[in-house]
Amino acid sequence: MTTFAERPTITAPRLGAQKTSFGTQFVKTITSTDHKRIGYLYLATSFFWFLVGGLLALVIRAELTRPGMQFLSNEQYNQAFTMHGTIMLLLFSTSLFIGFANVLLPLQIGAADVAFPRLNMLSYWLYFFGSIQTVAGFLTPGGAASFGWTAYAPLSSTDYSPGIGADLWIMGLTISGLGTILGAVNLITTIFTMRAPGMTMFRMSIFSWNVLLTSILVLLAFPALAAALLALESDRLFGSNIFDPANGGAMLWQHLFWFFGHPEVYILALPFFGIATEILPVFSRKPIFGYKGLIAATIAIAALSVAVWAHHMFATGQVLLPFFSFMTFLIGVPTGVKFFNWIGTMWRGQVSFESPMLFTMGFLVTFLFGGITGIILASPPLNFAVSASYFVVAHFHYVLFGTVVFTMFAGFYFWWPKFTGRMLNERLAKIHFWTLFVGFHLTFLVQHWLGIKGFPRRYADYLSTDGFTEMNMISTVGSALLALSMIPFFINVWITRKSPMVNTDDPWGYGSSLEWATSCPPPRHNFHTMPRIRSERPAFDLHHPHIKSEGHN
Amino acid sequence: MSAPLKKRSIAWLISAAAASLTLTGCSFSSEDVSGMGFPKSASSVNDISISLWQGAWITAAVVGIFTFVLIMWPAIFHRRRDDKPEFPKQTQYNIPVEILYTVIPFIIVAVLFYFTAVKQNEIVDTKTPAQHQINVEGFQWSWQFGYPSAGPDAVVTGTPELPPTLYLPLGESVRFKITANDVVHGFWIPAFMIQIQNLPDITNYIQFTANELGEFPGRCNILCGRNHTQMIFKVKVVTPEQYQSYISSLRAGA
Repeated sequence: MTTFAERPTITAPRLGAQKTSFGTQFVKTITSTDHKRIGYLYLATSFFWFLVGGLLALVIRAELTRPGMQFLSNEQYNQAFTMHGTIMLLLFSTSLFIGFANVLLPLQIGAADVAFPRLNMLSYWLYFFGSIQTVAGFLTPGGAASFGWTAYAPLSSTDYSPGIGADLWIMGLTISGLGTILGAVNLITTIFTMRAPGMTMFRMSIFSWNVLLTSILVLLAFPALAAALLALESDRLFGSNIFDPANGGAMLWQHLFWFFGHPEVYILALPFFGIATEILPVFSRKPIFGYKGLIAATIAIAALSVAVWAHHMFATGQVLLPFFSFMTFLIGVPTGVKFFNWIGTMWRGQVSFESPMLFTMGFLVTFLFGGITGIILASPPLNFAVSASYFVVAHFHYVLFGTVVFTMFAGFYFWWPKFTGRMLNERLAKIHFWTLFVGFHLTFLVQHWLGIKGFPRRYADYLSTDGFTEMNMISTVGSALLALSMIPFFINVWITRKSPMVNTDDPWGYGSSLEWATSCPPPRHNFHTMPRIRSERPAFDLHHPHIKSEGHN
Repeated sequence: MSAPLKKRSIAWLISAAAASLTLTGCSFSSEDVSGMGFPKSASSVNDISISLWQGAWITAAVVGIFTFVLIMWPAIFHRRRDDKPEFPKQTQYNIPVEILYTVIPFIIVAVLFYFTAVKQNEIVDTKTPAQHQINVEGFQWSWQFGYPSAGPDAVVTGTPELPPTLYLPLGESVRFKITANDVVHGFWIPAFMIQIQNLPDITNYIQFTANELGEFPGRCNILCGRNHTQMIFKVKVVTPEQYQSYISSLRAGA
């Protein structure tokens, strides 16, 4: 007896779907509640900010090429790095996570959309307008905010940073942050309530798990940022004294900011670890090694990440060094576990290096070094030697660029056929990877040494007698190469825009998670038929039903 | 993938690995190899921290190279080959290995933490009486150094154009009173491996001994506004006799 009917497969497009005039598409896009479309909006907007932040980085690098001020004033330089940091962390990386999560999460858990599709669109518009407002300070007479993305009090008060640019920055981030919070609420609800039949929590893809834990971290961290920003604006606008140094405001800001700021690092890292974890099994033709241990490690990282904020404040002389040092060291353990899970996945596999895998390898190697310098910085005696120097700048670029940018491109190459139905060109992808990889390491490796030699971060200039010139020149050359690496990517996107459709669910052949069990691109509500979900690899089970997983369970 | 293509990618990987190793090697083969970038006994802080700095880097190098080799191993030796079966063994779990790679990193960080805790207690100790006191106040955008032993008015104030000099006596311990009179600043002497933030309305103390004659650059390392870059100073370590005569000259001037 049939208790439910098979959902009919729609073969012919519906009437009216053919109309693709620019106006129709535009209106459809900005009013859509389709998680995929909203996700693409997020991805495109955050990639736009990546390019803006990258241009600011080139301005910074050009200014530092030689001793003496080349073409910027001190104030303009401060604005450049403030906005570079703000854009890269909050307007690019954070919303890039929401973008990937939006497109992929419902597909991976077998849902038709997110739990609150209209809230999803609202979140996007809050982010869109909030991000423009954050950067709009550049158009005001006083220029953009220039107190660093960390906005330490009392430098960020009206006494020391007058000007509307600062207010735009504060309120823009508050609004955009609200979008992030609502996005996280949406993602958590989607995971808890909209998983397909059979999709138990321990059959979810690692990316989905990481989206869940990242969203929980967003709910812990972003309200703290919102509170701090609103209190700061209240000080500036209404003359309240919340961050007045006489009331201990200098330390209060640092605590509040880093209570947000450190989980934020993991908000940026975890989803992109998830992307790497999606890609490695596919190009090794093996299941993830130690799936449950990997989830436990991610939970441990998320939990520890809210207990380490004061390691950004070792040099304040006002925090309990042993506690925060030990907690920070401890994070190294689950992070190490992740590395061995990734290695174990490749071990004795059929490993091949299509572009997504190549970028994932770039991530592994780069993040490894960033993790190691993180352990060095976790030790207060060593932190006292190099904190707030270029050593730290190099460290967090290895961690964040290594994670976010390398796996972003890995994800683009990997899911491009899922997004568009078309493959990107492999040869251009490889040129892209190698210029990016060499450019990145040329830019940032030397900066460790620069920091040890005593170059502080956020310095617009240095003396010719300081001995920083050669290293700064190498770094600037590297940044130019890094910037050039974007060209093959753009060419690639352009020339493949009309290449043949893949016309298969899984063009890579060995995909694991559920998005590879629907068409490329997926239909409006994602699935015409839902495969049986009996393991954490439903698509793999569907396409290779005779292959069994082995090992203790 | 065709055979020549495969060979080429292997060559690429090996050359990239070699390049990254050479680059890392270069950056650490400068003049002060044994101090790994820091002068070995320039101050009492260096005496405490340098062995930790060396030990941490040696551990980091061992762990880093081991993990790097583990990453590259399957990338080179477990590459896709057409003569192997399409599907390798679908291993999902190996409990002993998983326990091993959880416990070993824990032991490594526990050992690092032990040495960290011991050393940091020595560095932040301000209870041992010091032979001298110097007041360090940061302001936008320079430094004011006060020498209380030469009287309350014995201060040296710099400007962004004319950075001040901080005089320290060789081999004699100094207690520094760290304050700021406007925004947060950072008192950093890179060669001495020490820094501490100057916080408005909060007083910090640090204590150390300079152990090497000469001049060392000092820099503000917490962003403090427009001319942050100009907030530099010079540390001049002189003999105790020269230091006393400097104090006398300050007293005479004040």
